Amino acid sequence: MKLFYIGCILGMALGWVRMVAETPDILSLNWTNGRPSLEFRLLPSVSEYQVRASATLGMPGSPLAGKQLGTVWTAEAAATGDSGFYRLEALPLAAETVRASTLLNRIAYGPTPDALDRLATLGTDAYIEEQLAPEKISENLDESTETDPVWRKVTITGTGSSSKLYVYLNGAGDAYLDDFRLVAGTTDNGTTANLLINGDFEQPLATANWTTTTNTLNSARTTDYVHGGNASFHLVLNAAGSTGTDAVVQTIPTTLNASMPYTLSFWYLAQPSTRQLTVRLSGSGIVATVPLQGDAESPIPYYARLQEGSASIGDLRAWHVHHAVQSQRQLAEVFQQFLENHFVTEYSKGFTYFDDRAGLPNAWSGPESTRQEFKENLRWRRAFLNPQCTFHDLLKISVESPAMIIYLDTVLSRGDYDSTTKTNRIANENYARELCELFAFGVDNGYEQGDIEQISRAWTGWTVELLATNQAANPFATRTTTMITSGLTNATERNSVTNLLGLWSFRYRTDRHDPRIKWVFYERDAKGNILTNSPKTVPARFGPPWAGRPYGLKLSNGSTTNGIQDGYQIVRHMADQPFAQEYLSVKLCRLLVHDNFHHGYDFTDAETSPEESLVHDCMLAWENPTNGGPKGQMREVLRVLLKSDLFRNPNTAAAKVKTPLEFAASTLRAFRASKPDGSLTASADAPSLVASGGLLDRAGRMRLFDRAEPDGYAEDAGGWISAGTLSERLRYVQSLALAGAGLATGTGVRSSPDSLGSSRVDPSALLALRLTNGANRSAEAVTDYLLRLLFPSEGSANLSQYRALSIQFLNTTDNGTTPSEFANLVPGTKDYDTRVRGLAALLLSSPRFQEQ
Amino acid sequence: MRSGTENRSNSRAMNTPQILTRRNFFSTATGLAATAALSSLTDVPLFVQKALAEGGLGQPGTNGRVKKLLFIFLRGANDGLNNVIPHGDDAYGPKIRDNIAIPVDPAQSWNVQGKALFPEAGTNGATFAYPYSLPLGNGFAGLHPALKFLTPVYNAGELALIHRVAYPQQSRSHFDSQSYWETGAPRTNMVKDGLLYRAMVESGRPGKNSLTGVSFQNSLPLLLRGSRAAMTNLSDPTRYDLLGVPNTADGNLKTARALQAATGATFPDKANRDLLQQQYENMRRTLEIFAGIDFSEAGNTFVDNQNSDGNKPYSLFPTTNAKNGAGPSGATNPGYVVPTSAYGYFNQLKSAALVLNKTDALVAGTQIDGWDTHSNQGGATGAHANLLQRVGWSIYALRQYFRQYADQCRWDDLVIVTLSEFGRTTIENSDNGTDHAEASVMYVAGGGIKGLRTDATGKVTHSGVFNCGPSDPVAWQTGMTGSMFQSTGRYLQRATDFRSVMGKVVRDHLGASQEQLNRIIPGYADLKQSLKAGGIQSQDKVRVTGEPDLI
Repeated sequence: MKLFYIGCILGMALGWVRMVAETPDILSLNWTNGRPSLEFRLLPSVSEYQVRASATLGMPGSPLAGKQLGTVWTAEAAATGDSGFYRLEALPLAAETVRASTLLNRIAYGPTPDALDRLATLGTDAYIEEQLAPEKISENLDESTETDPVWRKVTITGTGSSSKLYVYLNGAGDAYLDDFRLVAGTTDNGTTANLLINGDFEQPLATANWTTTTNTLNSARTTDYVHGGNASFHLVLNAAGSTGTDAVVQTIPTTLNASMPYTLSFWYLAQPSTRQLTVRLSGSGIVATVPLQGDAESPIPYYARLQEGSASIGDLRAWHVHHAVQSQRQLAEVFQQFLENHFVTEYSKGFTYFDDRAGLPNAWSGPESTRQEFKENLRWRRAFLNPQCTFHDLLKISVESPAMIIYLDTVLSRGDYDSTTKTNRIANENYARELCELFAFGVDNGYEQGDIEQISRAWTGWTVELLATNQAANPFATRTTTMITSGLTNATERNSVTNLLGLWSFRYRTDRHDPRIKWVFYERDAKGNILTNSPKTVPARFGPPWAGRPYGLKLSNGSTTNGIQDGYQIVRHMADQPFAQEYLSVKLCRLLVHDNFHHGYDFTDAETSPEESLVHDCMLAWENPTNGGPKGQMREVLRVLLKSDLFRNPNTAAAKVKTPLEFAASTLRAFRASKPDGSLTASADAPSLVASGGLLDRAGRMRLFDRAEPDGYAEDAGGWISAGTLSERLRYVQSLALAGAGLATGTGVRSSPDSLGSSRVDPSALLALRLTNGANRSAEAVTDYLLRLLFPSEGSANLSQYRALSIQFLNTTDNGTTPSEFANLVPGTKDYDTRVRGLAALLLSSPRFQEQ
Repeated sequence: MRSGTENRSNSRAMNTPQILTRRNFFSTATGLAATAALSSLTDVPLFVQKALAEGGLGQPGTNGRVKKLLFIFLRGANDGLNNVIPHGDDAYGPKIRDNIAIPVDPAQSWNVQGKALFPEAGTNGATFAYPYSLPLGNGFAGLHPALKFLTPVYNAGELALIHRVAYPQQSRSHFDSQSYWETGAPRTNMVKDGLLYRAMVESGRPGKNSLTGVSFQNSLPLLLRGSRAAMTNLSDPTRYDLLGVPNTADGNLKTARALQAATGATFPDKANRDLLQQQYENMRRTLEIFAGIDFSEAGNTFVDNQNSDGNKPYSLFPTTNAKNGAGPSGATNPGYVVPTSAYGYFNQLKSAALVLNKTDALVAGTQIDGWDTHSNQGGATGAHANLLQRVGWSIYALRQYFRQYADQCRWDDLVIVTLSEFGRTTIENSDNGTDHAEASVMYVAGGGIKGLRTDATGKVTHSGVFNCGPSDPVAWQTGMTGSMFQSTGRYLQRATDFRSVMGKVVRDHLGASQEQLNRIIPGYADLKQSLKAGGIQSQDKVRVTGEPDLI
């Protein structure tokens, strides 16, 4: 009889330093023909499960040959001898690998192939410090680095399907083009004979082979802009073109061969246009479609519109998402989204206010509400670039923001004396309540209904007004009187907001303010009367240094403009109270560690959980910053959190579920690697992602900047995961894998892929970059690379079932059963690409890719 | 992985060309799984099933049908005082609600006992032209005119209007209070799963029946959330489908099979892995079921069989202008029955009704957002009235739908309940709105609900209004220190615990035993909470009625 030594795990103490192998729980042991087979419980982040055999109990023994798939390890050979001792060991994945994965999933919008490589050499500590100082990371996403005009070159290889070349746009508009070349072969060294006539437009169009149609009649040779020589081609369309009858056409004198490759190149002038330019051969052997805007992923045009105040909410969302996907300052982007969601405001409420209340025309209300959301966003971005940015800085931005003043109804709230009712008007409680409950303290944490009523009176008089441009930062200014058209005779028209020049800004109105003294955070007697000698004190559960501190606040700023101080004093006072320290620390832990943190811990309790300890450590960093600066420095708190043992724990890796925004960004980033020529293997169409009917809308209605409820979008998994939202996530990645690859949609299928706009991934190109010397033709190598890329914290041993499944997937035809060696498929062919895209879609559809 | 397709034949020749539709996206994969199966595919752990003998919950009655529940959550806190309006209390009116009080019709007599008024649209009048409160026939209370479509249901005796509903130690946080309503366990964070989820668990059906609780909204509500079994939420059932890569019959098959295998793979336990596992499995099982129901706009052909208002029968689920009441209002056209912004919601409500009627689901529901009327609430018309129109028409239309189009669920088998986290301040604020307060109104409707009752001669013997009259068990105290101003001066204090209403429905309609109910609503086992028989609730010493007599 063989004895089996089953190792115990003592307390699952998976510290971040896992120098030694651990011993998983063994569930059962079976013998088949003398071969032992073990079923056991998997441990997180394991690269190999190994069984060691020894003749003597307590000896380390030597590894036994065997195979592990999922939870079962089976020996390769029958056991020798009658007795022995076996020990199952889990060899952990390197701690740095696990931590890199957690970092890229939490303080970044998911790993990119490049970021994974970079962290492997940079180290995780250095990455944390780099990301905590975003001002030192150069970023120019919003700045044009080139001088106008910018000529861009397009080169594309295809087959000679016809000798007619079409040039058109997808709508009315114009473009400048120059230096067309079409040569035989797959490359153009610049000296090969150009098959096109007058490709440089040095001669007039009509005299040299370019013909116009009715739709393109106004197209002409021009000298306004020039790429090469003395002239270029000004393409003008009255309406969308699509073929020879509505395009500009050249009939090429040389007959092209439909089975031979040709390479087309040309230059176009990038310009702020939403049109797409298409240059193609009849029969579409060669098709080049490019956005005239140049770089479709550039946030510059959105930023320009946001700066000038003409942007739509869609522009703001697209700008925000482009930054999320592309920015090098990933932690700053994650933190920015956290702030937007924490200090939530609702675009639609602002729209309604400007439209219904402020008297703006409907068409102006959207851009105005967008401008207010953008202003907040920009102020938070800038605030976090200050190394000593505090919570108070961020809270103050929210408090003063017209978007917030409108959102929680402060804008109309009054507390002044009403001579009819002979009492002061009753202030609106909405903002006061959410300030306590959601923005600063947490529900029932250090305040009660009476405090809300007192605080609500402080915000009376905080309104939004159209102020003169040079008075926009003066809350005591009155409405602007500068008229756009001063000659209007009708007084109403003259003084209408549409005829006044200014900016909608925060304005404080003394005539609406409740000037009476406010006793905030004071005890009350049984009848509810305030005990003005008894400020509330911090509860004992906080322990030192906080417990017992009085935190009452008496506001007596009176009825003059000093009354504005009521509000400012409240946020100054609340920002560093232990309640705020606790609540914000809990929210950051939920964002960056896992879902199960809550406020209300007893910090004096001898029994502390790791969660409670981490919150306490964050609060201490808030209270006593090591750099001696002000309390409440966000970077100090974040550093404690990111360097904690809990953050490094393998159980923290992949323990959270992605929000729709995180899911969308991480799918694109996962396949986004730089090619040697600077182009990328994935691209994001941010406007389509955030559009109505886009992924963020479909997978749980995550409408950025437009959340109706003041609690912000859910951070926990339960708020996002249901059968309906999962199917939307899966449809999205499946459509993404299908898009742009020319993969047929077959007959008999019920659903069409969703429109993704121009979002694309090219997994085959990524594999060609990373797996050289033919390794991209090995099913095993491709599988191992993709598993490491998409699930970097899991460990290869825990991915054994995905691995077997993936290899089988690559080695079968589309029906999933007929064997078809992946190694026989040639990179660059449609068959190869289809197989790889199918696997990419499968892995992105898997439960594990929902996690971060 | 357990097969959800026991009835499908596996004998189809494997080389038969197949047209793969959503209906069999996964089931085809299951049928052929043997050829592709990895040895390691594990079954989802079997749900711990309750002994069925314990109660009738989820079990067919003698007529072979199962009792069901439809919920509508009014999120943001409904101002109950402007739903069922205490006109018998002189304190109600412009004194406390200068801009938003609902006036009484000087031409109406309020002391007559009888049925509720239904003001029909006149020849030239719009549907909601009547600007006054609708007398409810108990000599005290009136109904907001935007709720006029409730009165046919009320007068049929199938609607209970339960006022002053809340729970002890009321939280005025939306999010906490919604959680308490949904968990059915106020003022404790120890209970993490939903009241209706626990009811489904007690039915013993999760794990055996693919559908138990279903919601149609953005995310699964806490009411239906729990750790041991997955309830189903869809936001757009017309899109509930997956794609293969390539998206061909073959590609769909390969993707479906591989995805099923990937879902079955075992991984180390982590925080959200059970949830993901259950919902992936839930998706696999339900894709086929939902594909069998026509959720399309074209399929929305349900029309009333009587003229409820105006001069023609209306569509029951207003999802387009053409299906909204009499259509766009005109000189002789009474117009819409709900705001045009309500079409998304009525699509969700229609889906919930279809699922209850066409499948074995026990519970379905959705929500109406936007009740947090801190400013510009409006009176007989306005923002709050627009929301109330949705509620009124929903209950009217559901009754007609389950009476006319019943398949697996008849009107007698159904109870509709509305929930809302709290009521609003009795005194309006300076923004012509109301702030967070305490008790509000619950609507409970169904073929088996006992609201208004009549004797053989048709004389009304029992009002369908609960807790809004001076003769109720916990009487409405009038005046400036009365029911509307208890606690600290501007809160309507509760007379009934919402758990007593939910408990009554779960036990006496859905069929839970008292033992089961004690597990579904933990407060029931604690006699000091007085949920069943009424009395003083120990937590804050407030007297409550116990279970209202409505079933």
